[in-house]
Amino acid sequence: MYTEQNVDIIPEKWYNIVPDLPEPLPPARDHDPENSSIDLLNRILPKEVLRQEFTSSRYEKIPDEVLEEYSQIGRPTPLIRAKNLEKYLKFTGKIFLKYEGGTVTGSHKINTALPQAYYAANEGIQEVVTETGAGQWGTATALAATLNGLKSTVFMVKVSYDQKPLRKKIMNLYGADVYPSPSTLTRFGRHTLEKDPNHPGTLGIAISEAVQYALDHDIRYLLGSVENCVITHQSVIGQEAKKQLEILGEKADTLIGCVGGGSNFSGFTFPFMDTDAEMIATAATEVPKFSQGKYMYDMIDTAGILPELKMFSLGADFIPKSIYAGGLRYHGAAPALSLLIKHGRIKTDEIDEVKSLEAFRIFSKTQGIVPAPESSHAIATAIDYCKKPENQGKTVVINVSGHGLLDLSFVRD
Amino acid sequence: MKLALYLTFPYPSPAVFDRFFDNMMTMPFDYVELGIPTDKPYYDGPVIRRTHRKALDGFSFSALNEAVRKAKQRGKRCFALVYYNHFSSNMAEFLDLLKESGMDGAIVPDILTDYFDERRKIAEAMKERDLSLIPFFTSSTPDKIISEMIQLTDDWIYHGLQPSTGIRVPVSIDLLVNRIKKLAGAREVIFGFGINSMEMVRELKKEGADGIAVGSSLVNYIENNDVDGFIKEIETLGGAVYD
Repeated sequence: MYTEQNVDIIPEKWYNIVPDLPEPLPPARDHDPENSSIDLLNRILPKEVLRQEFTSSRYEKIPDEVLEEYSQIGRPTPLIRAKNLEKYLKFTGKIFLKYEGGTVTGSHKINTALPQAYYAANEGIQEVVTETGAGQWGTATALAATLNGLKSTVFMVKVSYDQKPLRKKIMNLYGADVYPSPSTLTRFGRHTLEKDPNHPGTLGIAISEAVQYALDHDIRYLLGSVENCVITHQSVIGQEAKKQLEILGEKADTLIGCVGGGSNFSGFTFPFMDTDAEMIATAATEVPKFSQGKYMYDMIDTAGILPELKMFSLGADFIPKSIYAGGLRYHGAAPALSLLIKHGRIKTDEIDEVKSLEAFRIFSKTQGIVPAPESSHAIATAIDYCKKPENQGKTVVINVSGHGLLDLSFVRD
Repeated sequence: MKLALYLTFPYPSPAVFDRFFDNMMTMPFDYVELGIPTDKPYYDGPVIRRTHRKALDGFSFSALNEAVRKAKQRGKRCFALVYYNHFSSNMAEFLDLLKESGMDGAIVPDILTDYFDERRKIAEAMKERDLSLIPFFTSSTPDKIISEMIQLTDDWIYHGLQPSTGIRVPVSIDLLVNRIKKLAGAREVIFGFGINSMEMVRELKKEGADGIAVGSSLVNYIENNDVDGFIKEIETLGGAVYD
């Protein structure tokens, strides 16, 4: 899988879509009019990450050290023709999988964790902190920190912490300290626990805790999704897929991916924006940000420490039903992605838990890949799509953002 | 290079504003930007935001006309900095008043981000009154939109270096200036939003900026009622810009 020749598929630059958007990206806005939360970013993000967040450059050179790390963690990830699934669906077109589960941490999250940790280490930082919902982002941060000689702390949403002990173990193995959120380690966590000692936690609360912890300890915070620089880093997915298709002499008609905060979907599709490929973003029915959310300025974190962004959102205080796809439980979606959905360039779909589990089973049985529950939502959309007569003969590419080998406790026998 | 100076009108009170403004008028600089106070100055940083709140009570068009008259007497070009959010419900009337005040034009920072679909309508309404719309761009403005706005307008261009005024996140000044100069051709591009060091001014000059706009760094002096410091700051800026 990882031959020298393959390594050439990894792009040398990340792609930033902002200069190519159909209208300007609404800027970050302060939640508290008395203070500048944008200024506060200076204290919690590595400088280079912050520069990339607001850059006008279409391309950012990937540092050689990060390219080397990409090849060490399994990039380029494979592009697989899903012939068994095609046969099962009696689909007359082609289905390809871009398999981000093939990285060593099992999801796309490592694509941005590595550069962020690299830039932090480069700036003389010793320690980083972040939050995690399902555990993929925390795992990626833990490994990226270790590979760059940094100590790491992870606030894990309590309900996942309790239900996914193996995730915690991997993070510990990579050297991270993991705490359930809400925790007693931060003001916001203590405040939340006072009101409800059995609070199950949300991603918004965990983000608030991680940011507050970074401020309290003067360390740096790593961004898991939503922010523009994260999406820029994730563009390795789409750039690789584009090149892999080109080598095979194929052209994508349709791209399908799932959306939590929007980073895997955006990283996968944005490099194809100069083509006429149809794009479909799948959210969870239980977190109906596209059908019931509003396109508005909203907080990223529940405490409102970070600047507000304009996005499709269900409100930062939205508490989702504890569906098994933790990575899709976030209340908002990345601003650039939201803007392109508003413009109609990207279509949306919503898939419920029952349907995603069905897709999960079909996919596991036909392709042998146990997909992440999040990715199963995208697979369900693709299955629906490939069943329609008008889509026969098309070339469909699904981004399988991660594997689900650590999520099997949710599947009934 | 040109120097544009920004004050929120009339911060902190008409009397104190006049004292600083009259002193400012004795100094060499090119453009004066007067902020029309509003209760939602979204894209300004905390410092300028404070000035808006305080200036709201003292604002009147008659006082503004007088300030513009004084500036024009000194040969300065005069521009309003006003949010479309502030005058969207009475655009015709507001633009008529702006024209009567003697203003040369206006910078309207929220058009592209919050009122994108109205950009042509606003540009036309201003053109009809012979008021220059100064397009406001940032690093997040897509290339295509920059080119379109340049077509729709014909005076100078305001380019923000930072996501909002008076704060500072790391930027690559060289990349930023190169991109906008390439898209703007011969049009004059003035940079503002977060210029707070002479080093930054020098770098902008080196990269080929046509001018700088400064506001937040002047507010301090007004807050401390320090006219001498205020004058000295403008002198220093002028030194860096004109040398």
